[in-house]
Amino acid sequence: MVFGANSHFLLNNLHQIYANENRSNLKRWVMDDLESELRVPGEERGENESSDDDESINIKRIKKPNLPLAPPLFKETPRETGFHKTTRNCLQHIREVLLHHRWQDAAEYMASYSQTLEDTTANMPQLYAEIIWRIGTEILHHHPNSTLEDYNSFYERVKHSGVKHYLKVCLEHSFHLLVNGQFEDAKLQLSIAESWRYGKQSAGQSQRIRLIQAYSGFLDYFIWCDKKATASSTDEYDAAVNQEMHSYFRQSSVNLKEIMKLPGVWDPFVLSYIDMLEFYNDHEGAVKVLNDYAYDDSFPPNPNAHVYLYRYMKKQNHPLKKLLKVLKILHTLVPSHELMPEYCSLLVQSENEGDLQKALGVVLDLLDYSSWRSNLDVWNHLMNIIKRLRMKKQWLKIFAEEMGYRKDWWLAIHFSTFQARKDSAENRELLEVKSFVVGAFCPHYASMYSGVGKAARKGVTSEARKAKRNPKPLKNIRRLRREKGQQSQD
Amino acid sequence: MDEEQTGGYSDICGQCGEVNWGVSDEGRFYCRSCHNVIERTKEVVDTNTFMVGTSRVSSISKGTRRKKLEQGREWMVCEGFQFILKHQAEALLAMGVCPQFKDDVLCQFWRMYLQKSRQAYTKNPVHDGKFRLRSQGSGESDSAPESSVMSDSMMSASETDGDGDWASGGGSVSGHTSDGASSVCSGSIDAVSYLTPRQRRSQGLMSMPKTLALCHLALLWAREAITLADLLRFVNEGHIPYVNAYEDFPEEMKLYGRDSLIFRVESIPSYSHLHKEAQALAVFLELPLFPPITLDCLLHPSLLTLRYLTEANLPDELHDWVCRIMEKAGMESSVTFEPMRSRSPLPHYDVQAAALIIIAMKLLFKLDDHTEWDLSNDASDKNKENPDGNSFNLRWWYRTMQTALTTAARRQQDNIARKHWKPQKPLYTSKKDKSVVLKRRRIAEQLQLSFQKLSSSPVAPPSTPPSSFCFRWGEEGEEVWDGPSLHHLTLDSSVRQRGASLQPANPEYWHPALRACKPRFCKSHYAEVEVTLPRMYVWLLDLFSFLLGVKPGCVYEEVLKVERRFLGSSKSQPRARATPRKTQPKKLHKRKQTSKTCSR
Repeated sequence: MVFGANSHFLLNNLHQIYANENRSNLKRWVMDDLESELRVPGEERGENESSDDDESINIKRIKKPNLPLAPPLFKETPRETGFHKTTRNCLQHIREVLLHHRWQDAAEYMASYSQTLEDTTANMPQLYAEIIWRIGTEILHHHPNSTLEDYNSFYERVKHSGVKHYLKVCLEHSFHLLVNGQFEDAKLQLSIAESWRYGKQSAGQSQRIRLIQAYSGFLDYFIWCDKKATASSTDEYDAAVNQEMHSYFRQSSVNLKEIMKLPGVWDPFVLSYIDMLEFYNDHEGAVKVLNDYAYDDSFPPNPNAHVYLYRYMKKQNHPLKKLLKVLKILHTLVPSHELMPEYCSLLVQSENEGDLQKALGVVLDLLDYSSWRSNLDVWNHLMNIIKRLRMKKQWLKIFAEEMGYRKDWWLAIHFSTFQARKDSAENRELLEVKSFVVGAFCPHYASMYSGVGKAARKGVTSEARKAKRNPKPLKNIRRLRREKGQQSQD
Repeated sequence: MDEEQTGGYSDICGQCGEVNWGVSDEGRFYCRSCHNVIERTKEVVDTNTFMVGTSRVSSISKGTRRKKLEQGREWMVCEGFQFILKHQAEALLAMGVCPQFKDDVLCQFWRMYLQKSRQAYTKNPVHDGKFRLRSQGSGESDSAPESSVMSDSMMSASETDGDGDWASGGGSVSGHTSDGASSVCSGSIDAVSYLTPRQRRSQGLMSMPKTLALCHLALLWAREAITLADLLRFVNEGHIPYVNAYEDFPEEMKLYGRDSLIFRVESIPSYSHLHKEAQALAVFLELPLFPPITLDCLLHPSLLTLRYLTEANLPDELHDWVCRIMEKAGMESSVTFEPMRSRSPLPHYDVQAAALIIIAMKLLFKLDDHTEWDLSNDASDKNKENPDGNSFNLRWWYRTMQTALTTAARRQQDNIARKHWKPQKPLYTSKKDKSVVLKRRRIAEQLQLSFQKLSSSPVAPPSTPPSSFCFRWGEEGEEVWDGPSLHHLTLDSSVRQRGASLQPANPEYWHPALRACKPRFCKSHYAEVEVTLPRMYVWLLDLFSFLLGVKPGCVYEEVLKVERRFLGSSKSQPRARATPRKTQPKKLHKRKQTSKTCSR
């Protein structure tokens, strides 16, 4: 089955989620006994010993290692039955071989550990089932001879070992099948899970069912993509294929719409739904979906929601004002987002009075992040903005506003001699742009920065030199410092 | 309840392999795990018509038909135990126990038990409803005439007629009415009476550990070479049926419900528990004096110590010293068991032998963490001077032993972790649980199979033929080899010729305070004193506790007991001298020290 680049990306994501979840849960079981290992053997002698004070203090200190660890699951008790001793020892052995990556041995112990499921006195049978599920998957993942059939039969068994995990295991199973390219089987697993009912539905259960339905809609979308690709490759209009595609679209959209009503992060679902809506030219619908996804307060804040909205609106040539509105929210959520340079250039383009100042703010925010600190584009933006701002009367006021809380460290962080040396070695152009900027802000600093390398000094543009002669900005900064000093004295 | 509706239909679903049938509203069968509908419909029983007046009749007729199908024949709990005992006896016979053991000893004990507990061979059986109340009160007066019957049957071995007698046991003899029992869910008839608190308290009823206790008593009576520690080891290794022993019941003896509480085994009893159980059972059976353990019997300390010396890879010469100690302690003759005398407890033959060896080691090497190493240095010097010399070097022995012990302990841990406890035919306590239990069994089995496929070796610990020894000592190149044999070595570096007799080179002997404790109130003091004891001594205790499968404290107590007899007897002799040590190691300051010169 051939998917578009987009769907491949999503599948990879899925795989990662799936692996990570399993890993983190497994850690709980495997790391459990860390505490018992940290204990010092001598400690078990305990209170019977009438030792001198120093020693007892030592023992006390050792007794409680200050580590945030969960209490061990299974402890040796005086009335332990032989069966429990066996299972406890077996889990201990499994843990050891897992930590040593001896998967064959782990499988061997797992074979005998499976008898815990039959524990008649168990007060937590679900826990045993979960332990077997998590550790079993981990072993299968790493075992050199494990096949897809092993996985399938294992998941089938685990599904029926405990009611509580049925849906989760189904979902995990279908993820695994997807990762291995068994698309049809994955679909089948999801539909089995969809139709599963047991007893009264608990809250968690119904949520999981929603999730499973959403994934099933997601897979319908993949089929839809596939059909679309075949339809477009033949170039002929085929009513039957079109019909089929449409039915998949309907199936998928019902499920996807359903999950989007619940608060949560549904990026892949939203993207696939939007893709289909776009294909059927339902632009208003798409924008509405994206707007709901981005602006619903009950949803957790999700920068991607705004990114998707922006990209879609840009594609559909929405007016500049609307685009700016979206990016403004994105800016408050993630000031260092990769769309920010774009936001900046849009602000510069706009005719609005205050937008230039906003652009200055955005660029300065960007430069606060180390990933953008030596980005030529951003510095270029800053240079252009300064050039345009200097022509305005309120330039000083704007400058003071934006630089207010940065004044103590901003120059030191960007224009140190070390930074200058680095810039001159790596990117001469950047050095020039930065020289101009520092010249505009603080000519006194400019000589320090650009005077690092002789070669660098040569490259200083005439404009920078002009700026050097202009003492005003320096005065500004000095004035700001003075004010601040007075404040602190008060 | 779907179980009722499906009528126990238990074929495997063709689609998913589950057995989880439900009945839809239209009366069709469907699989509840994969929703596969099959060609089978519910047998329509119009219950409404019966509900009016005749419901009782219909339910009774249905009930009996079903009972017969499910229940098999009627049987009693003691019959079940009889089967288990029979299998255990057969396993022991297969190991080479003398053929008379089964019919002449164990069978007789079992009959005595049945009579004493008034389950058979009696005029007022315990399970008869009429008698139960009265006989609880009148108690022991009834048993007097019966005991004479028993002693008769004990003497006349001709009365027993082999296997046929085993199959039909107490059940047929004791008359009972099944009215009361049939309403309760259990396969056997009288499982309920086993589980009432009063019966439990009375301690007279059979239990799974008691089967082993009975076997132990019978083995003792037959003077067989299997000690209690051996018996437990064989049970642990699966050579004697114990865990899931009920699986060998004949087909018509169905086991479920309350029976599972009686016959389910989830642990193997400890040595001390079984010992107590055996002693109590011997008193309950009012057994007469056991046959004396003489020198021709392998349970005699002299032979048993030889066996453990071999096991522990100690030189054969040490046996002379052990025998001397045994003589001094007066343990050669009085080694038998008389249950009806309160001052004659059931001896721990195996632990006693280990204690004798430990005392001999202490006598020769002192084991105070100093002297034994000095002596080993002497021995190695001697061996260096004389290349043909073969002096026993304790350090060398310790190293050999320690390696073997570590390996064996690891092997044991591994076997514990892999031991399989759960039966092929699972037990369920109530009908409601049946489907759940069966399903769990199936899933566990399938999981086991799928992981077995992934593992390289079979899951069950490799079964070895029953052996009296844990370790194999010998020349290199043998199949199972734990280390070189040290049996032929001599003790010449640790003994001195003084006059006509040999004496240990080490002149002193230490022991912990031989305080008398009240056996009822005091438990083991080992946990308290363990830290103050020399490490080498503790290691030796651990070694024997591992070999015998008992707690180190148990060996320690036994050593003290033997020391009490040994030192008590030697102190009374004029030549023995008891003087306090001049210099004592700091950590021994709490202990009463007695050092004596060995004068033999």
